[in-house]
Amino acid sequence: MCGIVGYVGFRPAAKVIVDGLQKLEYRGYDSFGVATNNPSLQVFKCEGKISEKGSEAGCLHGTIGIGHTRWATHGVPSDRNAHPHLDCTGRIAVVHNGIIENYAALTRELEAKGHVFRSETDTEVVAHLIEDCYDGSDLRGAVEAACSRLTGSFALLVTVEGSETVVAARDSSPLVLGVGDNEVFAASDVTPLLGYTERVVYLEDGDLAELDRGGWRVYARGEAVQRPIEHVDWDVETVRKGGFPHYMLKEIFEQPKVFYDTFHGITEESLPMQYRHPSEITVVACGSSYHAGLVFKYLCESACRIPVRTELGSEFKYFTPPLKGIVTVITQSGETADTLAALKKARAYNCPTLAITNVLGSTVTRVSDHTLYMRAGPEISVAATKSFVAQLAVLMHLADLMKGDGEFAAALEGANSAIDEVLLLDLAPAVEICRPAEHLFYVGRGLFYPIALEGALKMKEISYIHAEGYAAGELKHGPFALLSRDTPVVALCSPGDTYSIMLSNIKEMKARNAPIIGIGARGDRELTDIVDVFIPIPESHELVQLLATSVVLQLLAYRTAVALGRDVDQPRNLAKSVTVE
Amino acid sequence: MQAVILAAGEGTRLRPLTRSRPKALVPVANTPILKYVIDALLANGIRDIIVVVGYRKEHVIRYLNENHLPVRTVVQENQLGTGHALRCAEPFLKDRFLLLAGDNYIDRESIARIKGERNAVLVTDHPNPTNFGVVVTRGGFVSEIKEKPDTPTGYIVSTGIYALDRSFFRYTVGQEVPDALQAMIQDSARVVPVRAVDWQDAVNPWELLEMNARLLPQIEARRAGTISRSSKLYGLIRIGKGTEIGPNTYIHGPVAIGDDCTIGPNCVIMPETSIGSRVTIDPLSYVANSLVMDDVVIGSHSRIIDAVVGEACRLQDHTATWTTGAVLEREGQFQKAAFGAVLGDRVSSAPFTILKNCIIGNNVTIEAGNTTVTGVVPDGAVVI
Repeated sequence: MCGIVGYVGFRPAAKVIVDGLQKLEYRGYDSFGVATNNPSLQVFKCEGKISEKGSEAGCLHGTIGIGHTRWATHGVPSDRNAHPHLDCTGRIAVVHNGIIENYAALTRELEAKGHVFRSETDTEVVAHLIEDCYDGSDLRGAVEAACSRLTGSFALLVTVEGSETVVAARDSSPLVLGVGDNEVFAASDVTPLLGYTERVVYLEDGDLAELDRGGWRVYARGEAVQRPIEHVDWDVETVRKGGFPHYMLKEIFEQPKVFYDTFHGITEESLPMQYRHPSEITVVACGSSYHAGLVFKYLCESACRIPVRTELGSEFKYFTPPLKGIVTVITQSGETADTLAALKKARAYNCPTLAITNVLGSTVTRVSDHTLYMRAGPEISVAATKSFVAQLAVLMHLADLMKGDGEFAAALEGANSAIDEVLLLDLAPAVEICRPAEHLFYVGRGLFYPIALEGALKMKEISYIHAEGYAAGELKHGPFALLSRDTPVVALCSPGDTYSIMLSNIKEMKARNAPIIGIGARGDRELTDIVDVFIPIPESHELVQLLATSVVLQLLAYRTAVALGRDVDQPRNLAKSVTVE
Repeated sequence: MQAVILAAGEGTRLRPLTRSRPKALVPVANTPILKYVIDALLANGIRDIIVVVGYRKEHVIRYLNENHLPVRTVVQENQLGTGHALRCAEPFLKDRFLLLAGDNYIDRESIARIKGERNAVLVTDHPNPTNFGVVVTRGGFVSEIKEKPDTPTGYIVSTGIYALDRSFFRYTVGQEVPDALQAMIQDSARVVPVRAVDWQDAVNPWELLEMNARLLPQIEARRAGTISRSSKLYGLIRIGKGTEIGPNTYIHGPVAIGDDCTIGPNCVIMPETSIGSRVTIDPLSYVANSLVMDDVVIGSHSRIIDAVVGEACRLQDHTATWTTGAVLEREGQFQKAAFGAVLGDRVSSAPFTILKNCIIGNNVTIEAGNTTVTGVVPDGAVVI
């Protein structure tokens, strides 16, 4: 998974591209490169983060160019493997996002024809393939011919020395055009375009676009086609970090508003009738979205009496259960490969499909029958925070509509201020317990079990502390053996049906000397007395407590990671949206 | 021209309203004080603005981001006084700059008067000079600034707005800004006093009501949302988007109402009232001369007059305020003031509560109905 940017216009292309790539760093950041057409081809490639080393690339001349920020899939991150890749003549430059599955066979074929490969990537084959098809004038025809030979997923940008155009092609990887006055942009998502233009064109799978100063033309299967111009309402300010030290903290603090806007953005009319009373629901998602799906399962099964199955996208694709009823997929980016594959499978079963996503015009919105949007705005930090809360907002409203009596909507009226309230908490004593730990346990019951899983995931991904989420009752079936004074436990113990059993679980853990961080309702004396650190959250409806608790766990992970000096926004080995299997 | 706005201090005398925000972020006429300061600078073409944040910095930064205010922020990690706060901004300052407090209102005309000066202090008359720095002038220049004197020698006080240049940093080490200025004057620097047109400060929480009343006439009239045809609206009124005004509701401006509120039916909102966003006012309630913040719920048959109501308070039906002029003891000081009530954030009251000239802390729960609450109630208390 990578990010690509292309530009044709009147501005210095390298500068536009370097700026744009920085905004796409969340898609990958192990190496980057830029090529400009001036009209001779100039190429700069470099291992490392563009935010640290991008200024040199910005010096390339020319007003036509393409660029790439990489997330290694084939070949280690290095200057040589960084994009753009060139053909044998050094005249054709290609950047690519996705995976070419038949690259090995194509490489053998092209090598037999005398092409010389310089890198270990799957992308270089595209450059040589285009070279093989190129007659010296018709670049679009050459790219089209080359694409017809490729299997796998790709979003490509191609330029050739001396030409005034950039050719873009997409199949199963995201690509969007930005339309300005006498300039055209292409990028993996809208963030690099913001600040230059609000008019965008989303390309469909199989589309090929030709960009030049005069404008843009889209072709599908060789025929010219019309694609509508859409307006994006995200402005560049919302994409920026503002004055926050990390995107993650910025996004955590946006959550009261995100929850309110998302919850109120869904109305009776948002949900077609056939989704109101399903026989059963299958939710498919990955990562944090999967945890949101688990919350929905608990909520919907107990309150609406509708069976809900929550499945991991990566498993679902290969081990598909018998399907009936609605299939709902949850993906922040709308591009998660496993989730998209699951969606396609569900369609093959003729199930009505519903997508929950944050990104307008993303692939998932075009594949599913119906889409509900989170109103989280762009999420840049790799660790999901506001998108998780926005997913819960959508799912809670969905459950409310299915339940039909408005109980959840009424209970959640004060949720935004409760989330704001926990942002004031001083978590320093809890951070002191987590910081030196090598292992952490998160335990909860019922609705709080998925929240424990999500809390542990946040801690793992940004602080690199090994954290496990458990249903509190399961601890006795094994993990209890690991408890000691070196394994702190974060216990979620809000008032409710399981409160007293949670209390006795905590006492048992305490008896094994494990330091306990208890999160419960403000004023809970009993809990305060038995835990080492008590984190109070406002006493309110269970759903509000759940939201407030998940925000506390995000903050705990964030503060711990900062205390440990981690790169919070770009944790090692992780990328924002997982667009490959 | 650059400007530095100090917004790092809590503003403790405004407690309990500063628990979740610094004083600079307290809304008056539905706009944080800090926003008035930034707007006055922008209106004067001053675009290079540095805001020093500290106490609840995330909230300030979030507000600046949400409102797309084109400023830079600098963090003062520990609140070590105004001189230190200014020094946090020093790396960004080139030559001349304005120094302002983020928690005092200032109008654009005053900025226009001082922005051309090299060394100047903006001054104004104040009836209670003992809370401020009293400015003594001689021969058209400032000869002395006496901070919070017990026996003031005049009524001209410093507004805390200065025109300065980088040479001022020679005096700021370990000093508060007024003391540094005093040192600079003793060093025979010439500092010009410039008269402010409209400068306002709310030292005590109930003084916000006066500031609210004075700033409400500046709001821009707007009627977004859904307004029942049988409601009656008079005067200057601003209603935000998504707000519903129910039938037979009477609103007499100047009144500002935020977004997504539900008011009425059969409510009365009298002049000099501002109501934040997502506020619910149930039927048959009466609100006058009050400052109601975001996410508040006021139950039916309530009567809220001369009150500051903090964020997310939940007042049940038949809650009433009672304006008297009793003497209050706050942090060891006795003060006499006439107002109905000041409620911190997230106060909840049972039905038929009477709030009599009281200051109620954050997260206070008034559990028993039919109670009359007076005096000062600390944060987190439960009234039974």
